[in-house]
Amino acid sequence: MFEVLEHTADIGLRAWGETKEALFENAAIGMVSLAVDIADVEPRIAYPIAASGTDLDSLLVNWLSEVLYYLDAQHVVLRKFHVEQITAQNIVGQAWGEPRDPARHRPKLIIKGVTYHQLRIAEQPESWCAEVFLDI
Amino acid sequence: MELRALDRYRFRIPRDERLGMRTDVIVYASQNLIGQIRKDLSLEQAMNVATLPGIVGPSLAMPDIHQGYGFPIGGVAATEWENGVVSPGGVGFDINCGVRSAATSLTEEEVRPKLRDLVHQLFRDVPSGAGGEGPVRINGRQLDEVLAKGARWMVENGYGEERDLEFAEENGRLEELDPHDVSSRAKERGRPQLGTIGSGNHFVEVQYVDEIHNGEAARAMGIEKKQVVVMIHCGSRGLGHQVCTDYVGQMGAAMKRHNISMPDRQLACAPIQSSEGQTYLSAMRASANFAWANRQAVMQSVRDAFRKIFGKSVKLDLIYDVCHNIAKREKHVVNGKKTDVLVHRKGATRAFPPGHRSIPGAYREVGQPVLIPGSMGTASWILTGSQAAMEQTFGSVCHGAGRLLSRTAARKGRDAKQVQSRLEEDGIIVRSESRDGILEEIPEAYKDVDEVIEVVHQAGLAVKVARLRPMGVIKG
Repeated sequence: MFEVLEHTADIGLRAWGETKEALFENAAIGMVSLAVDIADVEPRIAYPIAASGTDLDSLLVNWLSEVLYYLDAQHVVLRKFHVEQITAQNIVGQAWGEPRDPARHRPKLIIKGVTYHQLRIAEQPESWCAEVFLDI
Repeated sequence: MELRALDRYRFRIPRDERLGMRTDVIVYASQNLIGQIRKDLSLEQAMNVATLPGIVGPSLAMPDIHQGYGFPIGGVAATEWENGVVSPGGVGFDINCGVRSAATSLTEEEVRPKLRDLVHQLFRDVPSGAGGEGPVRINGRQLDEVLAKGARWMVENGYGEERDLEFAEENGRLEELDPHDVSSRAKERGRPQLGTIGSGNHFVEVQYVDEIHNGEAARAMGIEKKQVVVMIHCGSRGLGHQVCTDYVGQMGAAMKRHNISMPDRQLACAPIQSSEGQTYLSAMRASANFAWANRQAVMQSVRDAFRKIFGKSVKLDLIYDVCHNIAKREKHVVNGKKTDVLVHRKGATRAFPPGHRSIPGAYREVGQPVLIPGSMGTASWILTGSQAAMEQTFGSVCHGAGRLLSRTAARKGRDAKQVQSRLEEDGIIVRSESRDGILEEIPEAYKDVDEVIEVVHQAGLAVKVARLRPMGVIKG
């Protein structure tokens, strides 16, 4: 549940979810799939994942930055997410994936960081929607 | 939006255009370029920059300006050192992304017959893309040394020549920093990546000198027509990206404490003299040093690759190395008074004039070399800085051609193989880790670099020295 947004120099992501939790999960999958072809990533290893922030916007930026940290520093591709809890300042969950294997997980682009530029999180009548831009 | 032409190459958005602007926006562009610039959000972003507390002089936009996040790319803003702010968004995620150019002792004629072998060798020896680990293996203690010493650490450890340091901006090293201000996560991301170029628009390009526009300056730089030159474009890799992420987050929280609000959260900032401001500047300088070390390591891999193909006597002499994502403390004349300012250059290149004490002795009479990469099928330029740049733009000019098309638009309806063979017909061999990488960087995705250069030349910000044509490109 996500789509790519155009930007002159960088790239954006619009994600949806029936709940706030699902929104965060889908945004994470969306971001990983921009960086790597996740078709052959097996969700065989569980990794804990958590972030904190001062509001919902910073929670989303910090949550996605955590996923990016796994990808760029730990060389782990995550493809399944479960958000257990989102409070005003914290998000806690679990993710599943496996160590990066360039032979099976074709790299697509390097994401440098998650930006606040035109960041938007909105609650709609029956779902949540977010737009976030990534520096590439 | 009111955009008034001041002269043929300068436009002004007055400060009263929007509430909160503390200064004017000045855009350097031609009529044609200004039409392209108005199509995205870059001018709104330049207006947001004009609201930064402590900004002095105008918020400046170069002719290659395009939409970024927070700051526009191709934006320059100076803030008062004592009472102004520093914004990590004014430097960007890729701290000290920059360009270095080296003159080889070979001519186009000598390189052409072995060009394919050379490009393949470069592709093997210079890691690019997402997968590649760098050739420089270091432990945590050595990484701290790299952060403290920049390019010097590389030269001391066998990656380069003493002379390389003389011809880099700041000699490839900023001081006044503490490596501990760089988070362990940033170090973890960056450590295996030393000596790699990354992806996006980063590249190593083999070029030849196509036109000489200023013989005296070209002689000072050791280049002549048909000579082969190598241009390297990369930055601080995951280390700098994480430092930006860390400090945008911290400053976002600190802004409330300092009673600052900005129209775009990516413009998060803190007073330069606050502990948040000082710690960020320290981490930024360490990241800048990492980037210089990185370009030094890449240059050494390039040197070695050339020697594998053309023999051990081949020389690669650094012409210059510039950073185009940085904030630096400099002295500039503001309202007739010499003032300490922090110049944010976000996608902009320093362009100091002849006689400036910060440039190497060999260039003191001609001015600082300004290296402007174009797109992979067109041209790149070497210019020199000018006194007009000092007076009008805090000694700054553009940093490239500037993107025109989004990456998705660039890919649409195009085939990487066709693009590659079209470039080969023009004598340009391209190797990339990914097909998308080639498509996203097609010449059509960029503004006309010659037009961008004409603007800065005619506006007097920099002086044309040489035009370079690509022969071989490797990219991520």
